[in-house]
Amino acid sequence: MSEIIVGISDLKVSSNPDDVVITYALGSCICVAVYDPKVRVGGLLHFMLPDSTLDVNKAKENPSMFADTGIPLLFKSCYMFGAEKKRMVVKVAGGASILDDTNYFRIGQKNITAMRKIFWRNNVLIDNEDTGKNCNRTVRLELKSGRCLIKSSDGTVKEL
Amino acid sequence: MIDSILKSIKKIPAFPATIQRVTSLLRNDDYSVTDVVNVIKYDQSIAANILKISNSAYFGVHQKIMTIHDAVVYLGQQQLVRAVQMAGVSKFYKKSGKGYVAQSRDLWEHSVAVALMSQILSRRIQGKEDSVLYTSALLHDIGKVIMGEYVYESFQQIFNQVKTKQCSFLEAEEEVIGINHAELGGRIAAHWNFPIEIKDAIAYHHRPDLLKKEDKTNAWLVYLSDQACLMFGIDGGVDGLAYKGLEEVMHFFDLKAVDLEKSFILLLDELEKAKDVIQII
Repeated sequence: MSEIIVGISDLKVSSNPDDVVITYALGSCICVAVYDPKVRVGGLLHFMLPDSTLDVNKAKENPSMFADTGIPLLFKSCYMFGAEKKRMVVKVAGGASILDDTNYFRIGQKNITAMRKIFWRNNVLIDNEDTGKNCNRTVRLELKSGRCLIKSSDGTVKEL
Repeated sequence: MIDSILKSIKKIPAFPATIQRVTSLLRNDDYSVTDVVNVIKYDQSIAANILKISNSAYFGVHQKIMTIHDAVVYLGQQQLVRAVQMAGVSKFYKKSGKGYVAQSRDLWEHSVAVALMSQILSRRIQGKEDSVLYTSALLHDIGKVIMGEYVYESFQQIFNQVKTKQCSFLEAEEEVIGINHAELGGRIAAHWNFPIEIKDAIAYHHRPDLLKKEDKTNAWLVYLSDQACLMFGIDGGVDGLAYKGLEEVMHFFDLKAVDLEKSFILLLDELEKAKDVIQII
């Protein structure tokens, strides 16, 4: 088994059933996990910000930084390995906020909203999610089974 | 419990005299390179760390730094203060494994990230970098080094408080242990004879609104940098993002959400450059 680590503003896709794709430290950032069970292709995107218009040059340099440029790239990267949109299982985690978030810096909420809009517009359903709240999360995607595990900073582990 | 915690402050090793001496030499613009080199080279563990840190991309020196003399010459006054502070402070984070974080490097990484963010925000807000702010940011969670052991023992209780009372982790620490990690950090800074400005910024880094001082800029900047890093995902551990959001901070600095979003992008770049710094422990 080899572990493939996805950094902040990064995405990794694999078709090797022995791989496990992992991303650490999701605060307000969001991880989108996709998996096609038929061809056993899947991957993770760890995006940081909702909208690429904030910095168009950065978005060109690193599309994985933003929801609107990262999510399409994640899907396209899976298609290159033979995955098909209609079979893709989509799970999301992250988008946490600090307490009493009095609208002053709702980066977590904005990320969640931006992501939902993109999926809505593209007719993609989210199969399961663990978003919001105020914990930090780690996501593991096992390519062999498509099992997606979320470990939270409070110590709990659950399967999405 | 509180008595034993306060006793542990007295047991914490003194802040390295080397760091204090170098910092005070560097306060003078006409400092002598030889004097600075002489102070550093007799403290082997600090000297070794300074060499490692100086070669990190963060400081942007293109030559390979082989000796302490090279480091002093190539880094220059401001950068040298930072490298020296990092080398000294990292020592205390080495044994902070228990309680908040899975491994001591996590707390160090968080501290470095907050220090980097404090300068990014200071450049945006005050138009300049600030060494006092930098030191405050690097040390803001120093209280966790002692608190970790107590949080480890009382974790379930603290965690239940956060859940049932919907309070912050800070309030739960106070309720269960009798003191919070920020206040404890302030006391450690006082024990080390740090300037009051640094002590206050550490002690109030989660509640700068409660600080009764005229100039609260530093405390607010450390607060904002810390909050931003929690959101960014580089947090201090089990406490996650369970801290109070104070909206005033945005008015205090006349900031908009996009300003902070842009700072995230800068932080990502700087963290990449500072990778070697994080790996020294």
